[in-house]
Amino acid sequence: MDERLILVVEDDATLRELLSYRLESHCTVITAVDGLDALAKIESRRPDLIVSDVMMPRMDGFTLLKELQKQKETRAIPFIFLTARTDEDARLTGMRLGVDDFITKPFDMKQLVSRTKRLLERVEVFSNRLDTQLGHDFSQRLMPTSLPKVPSYELFVRYEPNQQGGGDLLDWHQLSDGRYFVAIGDVMGKGLQAKFYAYSFLSYVRASLRARLTDTPHPADMMAHINTLLLSDQVLTDTFASFLLLVWDPEAYTITFANAGHCRPLLVDANAAHLVTDSDLILGLTPEATFEQHTLELEPNTAFVAYTDGLLEQPTIGGDTLGEDGICRLAQDAFSADLPVDALWNAALDASPASTYNDDTLIFWLTRTTTPSTALTHVSAPTDANTEA
Amino acid sequence: MSFSTQSVSDNTLVIHIGETLDFRNADAFKETVHAPVDAGKHQFILDFSDTDVLDSSGLGAIFSLYRRVAAHDGTVVFANTSEPVRVVVELTRTYKVFPQYDSVESAQAELT
Repeated sequence: MDERLILVVEDDATLRELLSYRLESHCTVITAVDGLDALAKIESRRPDLIVSDVMMPRMDGFTLLKELQKQKETRAIPFIFLTARTDEDARLTGMRLGVDDFITKPFDMKQLVSRTKRLLERVEVFSNRLDTQLGHDFSQRLMPTSLPKVPSYELFVRYEPNQQGGGDLLDWHQLSDGRYFVAIGDVMGKGLQAKFYAYSFLSYVRASLRARLTDTPHPADMMAHINTLLLSDQVLTDTFASFLLLVWDPEAYTITFANAGHCRPLLVDANAAHLVTDSDLILGLTPEATFEQHTLELEPNTAFVAYTDGLLEQPTIGGDTLGEDGICRLAQDAFSADLPVDALWNAALDASPASTYNDDTLIFWLTRTTTPSTALTHVSAPTDANTEA
Repeated sequence: MSFSTQSVSDNTLVIHIGETLDFRNADAFKETVHAPVDAGKHQFILDFSDTDVLDSSGLGAIFSLYRRVAAHDGTVVFANTSEPVRVVVELTRTYKVFPQYDSVESAQAELT
């Protein structure tokens, strides 16, 4: 935990010194002599907690609290009043204003320190819990709840969000002629902010793509379109995203794709794994970017494997990251497993000093089988897991 | 963590990236370049000679810089690209946007 900053507002110099001396044992303390002085101090540096006297020259504690509540940035700063034991009116007024706690004068220093500590901890716990919950909600919405089930194919997806991770996303849509449009992406940045962007961005892109989903979707044109969206939209300034857009034609056994700076997918069979190297620039960087699309044929007993950089950047025991070579090797080994996506997932963790992924991680594994009767779909996710055979 | 910078001309700034540019110091990088861009520096030479780690957050911070200077016809170039950085640049195809130079001097010669 970072060192917390407490602002002590007290006009009595002796008391002010005493308070800051005692609180300094577990926090950084700054002081102000009255409400006006406090406002100036808060303007330059926002404290995590304010301990304020009520009666002060120029601006009293009540007015200070009212002023802070007018502004969104300062409204939520925890606020403790120092009041005289007998002053019931002050307590009532403070309560009406929404003060967090009172400490009565003459006060017990131990009590002051423990109350401030407790209040700071409560704020910390609350905000962490909120972050985790929100991050989890967003993550869930960035993934589909079901997958297409197609004869002659096995489709496996494994995804795990990470609280500190970015915004990985996966979306699919069946076209009227039986083909599938699939979008796999990663919005840059870390933590809740990236997830929030990824979420708003996915809604945006999903709507925009679906509006443009014609009978003959053109991944490269769609990529150019998203690039323009990112560059022209004020809200999305500084949002960059890598995308892999593909049209999967199960009957023709083809995948037509465009890759904008996304991790390069693999083609894996029983004997080899190789990278599909065609790719273009990441989205949101420059209007001059151009995108090409390519079509690859999926032979029987071959898998198309796409993933996000959580897998690519996972540290290995040697102090390196897994990288494309590592992924090729492990994917090759995983090919013959019943659940290849889980085999690859676990093998990458076995090769790592960490027991979990450091970032959001997604693996999309599509195998063309030799038996038309197969139609297997398997999603491994931390929650809402569902298995269909 | 702050970054050491060196002004080499009216509109050119060299930034020494250090050992890492990742999620831990990406914001510090953005803060470092903010004022110079506003003050009219639109050509940036990023020196990666000591860099072992460049992750997607770090790259995102460089992209932000690029977006800012591109609005003024500026450029961002990479110098002394280390192996880990080269891999990232290769994977993301960003060499199409950030010209790569063997040294800060050769980058400077090209920019002036």
